[in-house]
Amino acid sequence: MGWQFNCHPNMHATPTSVSHGATTTARLYNMRRIAWIPWRWWRRAAQFAMLVLFLWLFRRTEYTGADQLAGGENIFFRLDPLSGAAAMLAARQFIALFWPALIVLALTIVLGRFFCGWICPLGTLLDYFHRMLRPIARRTNRLFNSRSSNSRRLTAAGPPGESLRSARYVLLIVVLLAAAFSFPLVGFVDPLALLTRGMTLWGDPTLYRGVDAGFEWLDGRWGTAAVEPFVEKHLIPFRATAFRLAGVSAAILAAIFALELVARRFWCRYLCPLGAMLGLLGRWSLVGRLPVGACKSCGDCAELCRMDALGDGLSAEDCTLCMDCVDLCPKGIAKFAVKRSKSQPRPVDLSRRGALAGLAVGAAIPGLAAAAQVFRPRQADPYLLRPPGAGDEKTFLDLCVRCGECMKVCPTGVLQPAVFESGLEGIFSPRLIPRFVFEQTYCEYTCTLCGQVCPSGAIPRLTEAAKHERPIGLAYFDHSRCLPWGEETPCIRCEEMCPAPEKAIKILNTFAIKDADGFELEIQQPYVERDLCVGCGICESNCPVEGPSAIRVRRVDSPDPGTEIMLKR
Amino acid sequence: MDRREFIEQVAAWSAGTCLAAPLFDVRAVLAAEERPNGKPLMVVAKGKDYEALVDKVLKPLGGMAAFVKKDDRVVVKPNIGFDRTPEQAATTHPDVVRAVVRRCLDAGAKRVLVFDRPVNDARRCYAHSGIKDAVESLGDSRVRCEYVDNKDFVPVEIADGKSLDKFDFHRDALPPECDCYINVPVAKHHNQAKLTLGLKNVMGVIGGNRGIIHRDLNRRIADLNLVVRPKLTIIDATRILLRHGPTGGKLDDVKVLDTLIASADTVAADAYATTLFGKKPDYLGSTVAAAKLGLGEMDLSKVKIVNM
Repeated sequence: MGWQFNCHPNMHATPTSVSHGATTTARLYNMRRIAWIPWRWWRRAAQFAMLVLFLWLFRRTEYTGADQLAGGENIFFRLDPLSGAAAMLAARQFIALFWPALIVLALTIVLGRFFCGWICPLGTLLDYFHRMLRPIARRTNRLFNSRSSNSRRLTAAGPPGESLRSARYVLLIVVLLAAAFSFPLVGFVDPLALLTRGMTLWGDPTLYRGVDAGFEWLDGRWGTAAVEPFVEKHLIPFRATAFRLAGVSAAILAAIFALELVARRFWCRYLCPLGAMLGLLGRWSLVGRLPVGACKSCGDCAELCRMDALGDGLSAEDCTLCMDCVDLCPKGIAKFAVKRSKSQPRPVDLSRRGALAGLAVGAAIPGLAAAAQVFRPRQADPYLLRPPGAGDEKTFLDLCVRCGECMKVCPTGVLQPAVFESGLEGIFSPRLIPRFVFEQTYCEYTCTLCGQVCPSGAIPRLTEAAKHERPIGLAYFDHSRCLPWGEETPCIRCEEMCPAPEKAIKILNTFAIKDADGFELEIQQPYVERDLCVGCGICESNCPVEGPSAIRVRRVDSPDPGTEIMLKR
Repeated sequence: MDRREFIEQVAAWSAGTCLAAPLFDVRAVLAAEERPNGKPLMVVAKGKDYEALVDKVLKPLGGMAAFVKKDDRVVVKPNIGFDRTPEQAATTHPDVVRAVVRRCLDAGAKRVLVFDRPVNDARRCYAHSGIKDAVESLGDSRVRCEYVDNKDFVPVEIADGKSLDKFDFHRDALPPECDCYINVPVAKHHNQAKLTLGLKNVMGVIGGNRGIIHRDLNRRIADLNLVVRPKLTIIDATRILLRHGPTGGKLDDVKVLDTLIASADTVAADAYATTLFGKKPDYLGSTVAAAKLGLGEMDLSKVKIVNM
C-alpha cells in the first residue's frame, strides 16, 4: 500500500508478527502521526526559535562596531502590552514605540493566550526547567504535572475565584491602577523585565567570569583554544561587568524557577500579570479547544495540561494553546477550532472580593509609598544622574519600564540600577555611577546606544550632537581633596580625560614648586567651565584620589526645592 | 582523593602560586641591546601618500629589514587611546599603521601584535580610529589587532628609575615575548606633559592605575622607558593636534603636516617632533628626564638628520 512508504521503514520488517487488528490500529496511529507534523512540535519549534531569537537579540544588545544598532534589539519589550499599558498610563501619553504590542493584542483576541505558550521566553525556559526536573521528580515520586497532585490543593478548593489564580488578576489590577496614579510598579512583575534584568545584572557578569576562568583553567587543552575566540566574540559579553542588585535579580528569577517544584508553570498560572492581561482578552478568543472540557470517561488531557486549564470545562484565560491535549488525546478527538458556542464554561478566577482588594491596594500604594517617607525622608540626591536625554525625574520614572536594556547595552557599565535613591518606585531604574569601577565607568562621549534600545522612550533616541546639548550633569571640584589644589601635587588627569572638544576643564593657576630632591614640578590648578561640561563623568571615574573622586558630577537641576548651587568654580 | 589528600594539595598549590608570583627583571636582556656608538640617525620625510611615506622614511634607515629579523615576534604600538576619528588627530593614522605592519610582515616577522590600552572603550577606539579595520584588511593571519586583557600585565622592577621602582607592563611588549618593539605614536598637544610623542606612548602598554603616573609625569614617563625599549620609533606627524589634546575633537585644532619622523632613538625623535610645534626640545620635561637617564640624544646638533 502506498501510504506505507511514508511510514517508518521497520513497518515492512515485521508485517506478519502482528495480528490483523493490531496492524490496523498501528496504521491509523502512524497515519495520524506521520501525515501531520503534530501541533505541539510546531509549538516547540516556535518556542525554541523565539528563545534563540531572544537570546541572540540579548547578545546583540551590545556595541559591536557600529554607532547605530541594527534595530529590533528591544522587540520583545515592545511586544509586551503590559509594559506598554503601564508606561502609557503612568506617563499619560501614547507611546508609539509600543505599536508591536497591538499585534499581540489583536492576535490574542483571535487565538487566546498563545503568547505564553509559543513566544514568551520565560515560559519556554520554565518548560525546559520542568523537563530537567522530571527525572528527579520520578525518583522522589513527586508529581509535578497532574491535577491529582499539589496543584489541586491550590486550585480546586473553594468556589471559583477563590483560588490562587486570582493572585495574577490582583497583581494586574494593582500594577495598572498604581500606574494610573503615576506609581510605576510594572518592572517588578513583568516577566520579560524580570528575565532580562536577571540576565543582565547577574547572568552576564557570572557568565563572563565563569567562561573566562574556565578557559584559563583549560589553557587551550583538548582543542579548546580553537573555540575560544568564537565563544568570546559571540557567546559571552565583551567584558567583566559588575552590577548592583545582581543578587536580588538572580534571587527573584530563582524563586520563579523554584516554584516550578510546586506546580508546573506556577508563575504563569498564578502570578504573571502579563498572562492575566492576555488571558482576559483571550476569554473571547475565536479559536478554542473542542470538546470544551475533558471527557468524563478519560480525563487524560486534564492530567497533562501544564496550565491546569481543563476540568469540567475549559478555562480559556488559562489555555496557552500548547497543543499537548490535541496531540496526546488517546481517542484523537481533541482539536482546536473556531468556537461555535459563545458559552463560557468557567467564570473568571477573580472574586468580587479579590477585585476590590486589588483596587484598594493599587489605589493605596502611592499613598503608602508617600507615608514610607516618614522612615526615609525624600531628600533628593544631587548625585543621582539619569541617562542622557532623560526628562525630569518624575517623567523618567513613569516612562521607564525597568527592562534593563540600557544597562545591558552600555559599553562602560556606568548605567547601574538605582536601589532606594529615588524612592521605592525607583528601584531598578537606571542611573549613572561614574566611579562604580575606577577608570572604567563613565558615559562614552560619542555613544548613543541606551536611547536606541529603550523600548518606552524614557531615554530618548538622540543624535550625538543632541546628546551634548543636554548635559547629564555638571562637574564640581572638591578643592580640599584635589591634588593640585589641596596638596600642591601635579595631576590634571581630569583635564586630560575631558572629551569636550574645547575641554570643559581648564587651568586657572599655573606655578612651579620644588620637590624634596630640588626637582622642579609644575602645578596646574584646574576649574570647570560649566558651559562646556556634558556631565559624562570620565573625570570623576579617572580621578586618582583615593575614595570618592575630587571632582564629581551633580545633577543639572537643583533637585531639592529651595536649594541652589551657588558655587562658581 | 580523600580529604587529607585534598587539603594537602590545596595547601601545596596555594603556596606554590603565591611564591611563584612573577616579578620580571628585564635588565639583563636590555643590556645586551645597547645602542651602537656614534651619532644617532633620524629621518624626516614628507608626502601625501602615507603608505608610501612609511617606505620613504624607512629607506635611509635601511628599510624595515634593519629592525625586523626573520621570525621575529613584533609589537607595533600605535596610539589608539581615544574614541576619535583619524582626521581628529588624536590617534595614529591607520594608513601609517597598516604600512608599518605590512613592512614588518614583508621582513618575515613571525607574529605582529598591534594593540594599545585605550582610555575610552577599547572597541570604540579600535573601530573609530580605523586602525583595527586597516590592520585586518591586510588579511594576514600573522597579524593580530586585539584588545588588551588585564591578565596580561605583569609587574616589572625598574631598577634605575628615579621616580618609580616598579610598575605593571604588558608581557607581550617585553622580552622574551617581544623581539622587536616598534613605537608609532601620533604627535599631539597634552596640557600636563605639554606634548605627547614617542616617550609618552609607552603609557599604552602599562597596566594598573595610570593616574598615579601624573603625580610626577615627566620623570615617570622616562622611568617607564627604561623598561620598554623600542627598536624603532616612527612619529606620526601627518597631522598634529595643536590644542585641547590629548583628546582633541575639534578640526580647527588640527594642522596637516604630512610628515613622518623615524629613528631608533626615541629621545631624538621626540626632540625633533617638539620643534614642529614651534618649541625647543627642552620644552618637554620627559625628553629632558629621558636624556638624563641616557635613553637617547636630545641635542639635535648631535643627531644626523636626513630630510626626504
